[in-house]
Amino acid sequence: MIRLAHAIYGLLVFLLALPLWSQSGGELHFTIKSDPKTTNPLLVEDDSSEIVRYLTGGVLIRVNRKTQENQPELATSWKVTENGRRITFKLRQGIQFSDGSPFTSDDVVATITALMDPKLHSSTGDAFRAGSGKVLAQTQGKYAATVLFPQPIAGLERLFDQVAISPARMAGKADASTVLGPFMVTEQKAGEYVLLRRNPHYWKKDSAGHALPYLDAVRLYIMQNRDTELLRFRRGDIDVINNLSPDLYEQLHAQDASAARDLGPSAESEELWFNQVARSPLPEYKKAWFRSENFRRAISMSINRADLARVAFRGHATPSVGLLSPANKFWFDQSLKPQGYDPKGALELLQQDGFHKDGEVLKDKAGNAVVFSLITNSGNKPRERMGSLMQQDLAQIGIKLNFVPLDFPSIIERITRTFDYEACMLGLTNVDLDPDGQMNVWLSSSDLHQWNPAQKTPETPWEKNIDKLMHAQASTLDRNKRRAEFDKVQEIVAAENPMLYLVDKNALVAVSSRVKGADPVVLTPQTFWNVEYLSLNRN
Amino acid sequence: MTLRAIGRQLITIVLVALFGGLLGALLVRLAPGFGTHDEDLSTQLSAASRQAVHAQDEAERHVFTYYLHYLGGLVHGDFGYSRSLDRPISELLRDRAPETLRSIGTGVCGGWLLGLALALPATWKRSPAYSTLATLITGVFLCIPSAVLALLFLVVGSPGRIAIALIVFPKVFRFSRNLLLKTYAMPHILTAKARGLGGLRILCWHVFPNLAGPMLALAGVTVSMALGAAIPVEVVCDYPGIGQLAWKAALARDVPLLVNLTLIIAVITVVANSFADLLAPAATRDLI
Repeated sequence: MIRLAHAIYGLLVFLLALPLWSQSGGELHFTIKSDPKTTNPLLVEDDSSEIVRYLTGGVLIRVNRKTQENQPELATSWKVTENGRRITFKLRQGIQFSDGSPFTSDDVVATITALMDPKLHSSTGDAFRAGSGKVLAQTQGKYAATVLFPQPIAGLERLFDQVAISPARMAGKADASTVLGPFMVTEQKAGEYVLLRRNPHYWKKDSAGHALPYLDAVRLYIMQNRDTELLRFRRGDIDVINNLSPDLYEQLHAQDASAARDLGPSAESEELWFNQVARSPLPEYKKAWFRSENFRRAISMSINRADLARVAFRGHATPSVGLLSPANKFWFDQSLKPQGYDPKGALELLQQDGFHKDGEVLKDKAGNAVVFSLITNSGNKPRERMGSLMQQDLAQIGIKLNFVPLDFPSIIERITRTFDYEACMLGLTNVDLDPDGQMNVWLSSSDLHQWNPAQKTPETPWEKNIDKLMHAQASTLDRNKRRAEFDKVQEIVAAENPMLYLVDKNALVAVSSRVKGADPVVLTPQTFWNVEYLSLNRN
Repeated sequence: MTLRAIGRQLITIVLVALFGGLLGALLVRLAPGFGTHDEDLSTQLSAASRQAVHAQDEAERHVFTYYLHYLGGLVHGDFGYSRSLDRPISELLRDRAPETLRSIGTGVCGGWLLGLALALPATWKRSPAYSTLATLITGVFLCIPSAVLALLFLVVGSPGRIAIALIVFPKVFRFSRNLLLKTYAMPHILTAKARGLGGLRILCWHVFPNLAGPMLALAGVTVSMALGAAIPVEVVCDYPGIGQLAWKAALARDVPLLVNLTLIIAVITVVANSFADLLAPAATRDLI
């Protein structure tokens, strides 16, 4: 009888423990495209290193990828003062690095001091640099720190999402083995994988008080071939895939509809722009076309964006409205309307500039046939399909488009150095949701003002206006005021078409049924943004 | 095979390798997009940081000076630094060589087994139908690029490096079949047959010794063939070997890495071919 009671008791304990047991442990597998170039969190440039930093780095403030709001992490609270020049953090107490050493304000100060060293040339550090001058980081007791910047920085808090705090003794030379994040790098085999193991000292706990993360390890396979990646996903070797191409998404959806998920418009858009650089080696009459507002608008009106989304992206894209996608919840200008497809209206606009049809060929007022080439990077199937569709669209108004895919270094050379191109189509990922992260694109003096970079003074009144508005939005801490200024920038861009925004790509991901707790979002790192709460179903 | 011939081949190897390396550096330097970086389009990097990234290219801009400097380092065992992968090149080569050796090993061994397995029956049976079929099969594999074959293996879930064996085997088959036919027609083999010696004994005692020289020469050629095929196969199948490294280096216009890889591939190819050259005349004499 006693034996039976013990057996029943044992069974009950086993059944009660089963949900917990199935929630913890396991090794999550997914891929990165290349070996991480660095595991030093301050020197991250490439996507693979960024993923490692996200999984291993403990940050003061995290931008929640779902709500898109700042949330406290290592800092329990913070205060921005002196019109955005100073930020003061109150730090979480009793936290340890993965090696068991304590976390204090000294680590914060040492990390930020190393990050802001101009000799480091860190893009993470450069994002904090609104001008010249020294950044001063100071402790205010064991669990408080303050950072003073020489100039105000709009939306300062969200930049700390990328600053992984390292032990003071390793500042500037840290790797991802001694960390404050949920995982730490324990093994790396070049070209094959990076293995991250659970940080035994990670500070977070779930609502029931269980230590996070649930997973024991994360293995990042290094794999460039997306077909192989999908093949291995279907075999069960890989658990999640981010940024599926529309073709692979359709393949997976046909075989396992529950694993393939279309999350709607992402922050990645496809756009084209015309070369408006005065010193470019293009013939003068072409420069005149590309600098004409009517010409750019006419081309925009002639492109059937709905077709691009339907055919080139197999329905997994949305016609773009402007420079931001609706995925950017706070900063997207809701008042903007998408550019309609109107070839007839486009021809009327072109006629205002002296263009005319000669048979089936559109000619400018000097009699030059309107022909231009569009460069893009080779090997991107949706982009190549968009090129073919645009050729057909523009042929309807008598324009001949030559579509020229090139390899990426050649494109960079043409658009940043020689300016030997007519139009270029590329994709843009808005990693930073805040418009301040786009200062380098929209200021006319910037090297990355793609259609006409590094202008000494703004060459057009609307560019001058954008410069003014971008500076204005950066000079206030009031988010609503900033949004009002940036809405105006979005409206000017929609009217002047320096960039023709074509489609916003949908975020397409794959999640295996083995993965529990997955809640994929449109922002990177889509499927594993909540990695601490992911677990693998052993059944 | 004389010492003079070996010396001549050694000089050829050194000269070809040196010239190959220089040519590699020159081609990358003249390639469109040299000196560009992904960081050029980074919206986060400041102009000063972008300039710092470009400052690293200055040493590679003057190819001849760079190459001399590189050779100086090489003498001291310094292979240089890959800026695109941010690691010392010696480390990259050490990590990736085993994978490529595995690919080449599979390709060469598989190619030889398959080639000989098809060639021997073609010699023994002398059936026109078999010969036509074997020629047709090898012809098909000669026409298919290694990357396509690798992709096919990938789709069916088999190791892609088998594709290298299929690239190597047509050459082995054709060469060995012709040699076997010639050897089996030699007077002493015919005499052995007439005396009633068994097929296996004839093959092992009389045919193979005659074939050893030219077969070794072919082995050298197949190694360089396998190396050439390994590059696309590793790229398609995501094998972390030297071939994939060469592809990445070319896309990133990574001069130091490409110069090293060009030198290595040139040395392996020239050594393999020199080996063939040294052995082939002797083999030909034996056959005649």
